[in-house]
Amino acid sequence: MEENNEKKSKVIVEVIEFGPLKITGNFLIKDLQRNKEESPGEVRLCRCGKSANKPYCDESCKK
Amino acid sequence: MEKNESQYSGGRRYKNKDITVYWKPSACIHASYCYRELLEVFDPSKRPWVDMEGSSTERIIEVVNLCPTEALAWKWIDETKNESVGSDQLNHIKFRRPELMNTEENDSNNEPVSVKIMPDGPIVLKGSFTISYNGNKKEVRDSMVSICRCGVSDHMPFCDGQHRKAGFIG
Repeated sequence: MEENNEKKSKVIVEVIEFGPLKITGNFLIKDLQRNKEESPGEVRLCRCGKSANKPYCDESCKK
Repeated sequence: MEKNESQYSGGRRYKNKDITVYWKPSACIHASYCYRELLEVFDPSKRPWVDMEGSSTERIIEVVNLCPTEALAWKWIDETKNESVGSDQLNHIKFRRPELMNTEENDSNNEPVSVKIMPDGPIVLKGSFTISYNGNKKEVRDSMVSICRCGVSDHMPFCDGQHRKAGFIG
């Protein structure tokens, strides 16, 4: 049971090669530019600078 | 860092399956009970100096209770057991460091990680998390990592400040 709890709150940050930054777990994301704050549980953030939906990935990196 | 050692604002913590031992270096007067009684666990010549697998939980509690200061304190990991601990357990945190009684909630491992999107700059991650990149996997504890968002860093995936020169907007 303890292990399950740990898994739930554990934050995993995955730098996807030639792709976005994937974050899962208990985190709070603050977008200072757009003045937004949320805890979505999972997010994919743009790392290439080309997304039209920043800070999120819109798969422009694949093109 | 060893997996059974972690840092928090008031010092260090060491865990086995039953208990957490708290170590507050600033409170130590070097009375030396701990390592004279139980060198298998408390060995100042080693790093980390506390090895929670070096003896039984019962023996560790016994020796932590000998510490004349609040440098060493302990508590059960099973919170329900902490309530009923008697005053004969001198160095249980309830008596030695009551401010730690509810710290598991404040434990950095349970606090949400902060992810900040900096205007025209990087993603700044702060807290304790696991990060994987370029085939590496690292445990970050109570620390900050800055990830490039503009795509021009020379130290990918980390920010090296080049977004400014590159005129990154986003």
